[in-house]
Amino acid sequence: MTITKHCKVLFMLFKMKLSKNMAFRFSFFGVCFVDGSLFLIQLLMFSSIYSQVGNIGGWDKQEMLFFIGTFSLINALNMAIYFFGIITIPNKIKSGELDLYITKPINTLFHLTFESIDLGSVPLIFASIGILGYAVSGMSIQITAVNIIGYSFLVILMLLLYYDLMVILRTLPFFVIQANSLERLEGELATLCFKIPGTLFKGAFKVLFYLILPYGIMATVPTQFFIGTLTPLGFLYSICVVGGFTLFTLLLWKSGLKFYKSASS
Amino acid sequence: MRKYIETSKLLFKNQLVYRFDIIISMVFTVSKILLAFVLWGTIFGNQKVVVGFTFSAMLSYYVISSFITQLDQSSNAGWQISTEIKNGSFSKYIIKPMSILGYFTAQTFGISAFLVVFNLLAASLWVLVFRIDFTFTSNLSLIAAALLLILLGLLFMIQLNYYIGILAFRFVDTSVFMMIKDNIIQFLTGALIPLTLLPAGIIKVMMVFPFYYISYLPSMLLIGRNGGEIVLGIVLLIGWNGAFWILNHFTFKKLIYKYEGVGM
Repeated sequence: MTITKHCKVLFMLFKMKLSKNMAFRFSFFGVCFVDGSLFLIQLLMFSSIYSQVGNIGGWDKQEMLFFIGTFSLINALNMAIYFFGIITIPNKIKSGELDLYITKPINTLFHLTFESIDLGSVPLIFASIGILGYAVSGMSIQITAVNIIGYSFLVILMLLLYYDLMVILRTLPFFVIQANSLERLEGELATLCFKIPGTLFKGAFKVLFYLILPYGIMATVPTQFFIGTLTPLGFLYSICVVGGFTLFTLLLWKSGLKFYKSASS
Repeated sequence: MRKYIETSKLLFKNQLVYRFDIIISMVFTVSKILLAFVLWGTIFGNQKVVVGFTFSAMLSYYVISSFITQLDQSSNAGWQISTEIKNGSFSKYIIKPMSILGYFTAQTFGISAFLVVFNLLAASLWVLVFRIDFTFTSNLSLIAAALLLILLGLLFMIQLNYYIGILAFRFVDTSVFMMIKDNIIQFLTGALIPLTLLPAGIIKVMMVFPFYYISYLPSMLLIGRNGGEIVLGIVLLIGWNGAFWILNHFTFKKLIYKYEGVGM
C-alpha cells in the first residue's frame, strides 16, 4: 500500500471516529478535563514542594514546570493519536474481533493504531504548550531554532517510545491470554515516571526506568535537551533505545499475529 | 441492621475469590512509596528537616497514608452504580428490601474489612524493603481518634461516590465526573503530599471541608502530630456525613423517575 492510500485510510478512520464521538457530546472533551485536572494537581503538588525547597536534585521550579509541560504534551499527543486504539487490542484478541482487522486489505497495526483518533484531547495539547510557554518565560536560557527543532524531534521520538511500550504490553495477550496485571503495572509505572524527572532515579531503579521499561526518559530527555543539560551521549542513547524498542515491537507484533488463533485465543 | 451485616460478610467472603487481584493491588501500592522515597530522598539529601518532617517521618506518613487510601474502595461502588444505571441492571437494587445506600455502604465496609489485613502486610513489607525508620505514635487516644476518623472518612467517601454514581440517572455517563473526582481527591486528602506543605491560608480553607480529615489527619495523628484537631475533625465529618445523607436522599428521590431500566 502506498503512502497516499494510507493517508486516505487515515482520513476515513478520522471521519468515522469523529462522527461516532459526536453522538456523545458530553463525553467529547472528557479526556481533556480528566487529564487537565491531573496536570493541574501535579502543578499544585510541585508548587507546594518548591515553596519549601530551592531545587529538587538540581531541577529548579521553572525546569520542573517545563518537565510537567513536556509530560503533559506527550500524554496529550498520545491520547489524541493512538491511545484509544491501542488499548482495545487485548480485548480484540480475546474476543476474536481481530479477525475483522486481519482480513482487511490494510496493515492491521496501522488500522488499530489510528482507528480511534480522539479530537477531544486536542485542547490539552494547547494547554501543554501554554505550560511550556509559561515555564520558558521564567527561564534565563536563550531560545534558538536548534532548541525548538531538537526538542520537537525528541518529543516525537518519545511519543514513538510510548507507543512501542503500549503495543508491547498489549501484544502479550497473543501468548498469555490474560495480561490485565501488566497493563495495570504500565499505568502505575508511567504515572510514577511522569511525576518525577528520570535523573532522580538511582541504582537499580535507573536501570529499570532507563533501559528495561524506559518510561523514565520520556519527558526527561526532551526537557534536558531544551534546558541544555542533555549530553551528546544521552541524545544518542535515547535514539538507540527508541530504535531498539521499535524494532522489538514490530517483531513481537508479527510473531503475535502468527500465534493468533482467532476466537479461541 | 442484620441484613447489612450479612451483606458485609458476603462481600468479605467474595473477596477471597479475587485473591490474586488483591495481591497485585497490594504490590502496586509500592509506586506511591517509591515516588515518595525517590522524590523526598533527593530533597532530604540537601536538608535534614522540611516543614518539621525528617526523612523517616515523611516516609512513615506516606506508608500510613497509602494504607488508609487503599482501604477506601468506595470509588468502585460509584463506578458500579453508574455502570448499572447506564446498562439498565440497576433495577435489582430497587426491588431489594433494603436501602440502596445502605447496601453499598455495607458492601464497601465488607471489602475494606477484608483489605485491612492485606494492606497491613503491604505496609509492613514496604517499611522493611525501604528500610524506613518507622514513626508511629504510642499514644492510645491518638490511635483511637485516628481509627474513628478513618471510619467516618470512609463513610463520607461512600456517600460522595454514591452521589456521583446516581447522577447517572440524569447524565447517563458519569465516568468523567468519577475520574476528575479521583484526581482531585488524591491531592485534597494529602495522598500526594502532606497538606502541611500548603500555605496556612489554604490549609484553613481546606479544614472546613471533609477531605482534610479523611486520610491526612488520621495519618498525622498516627505519627503523633496534630492532636489538637481531633474534635474539629470528628464534628465536621459527622456534619458532612449528615449533609450528604440528606443530599443523597433527595437527589435519589428526584432522579429515580428518569430511570427506565432498559439500558443503552
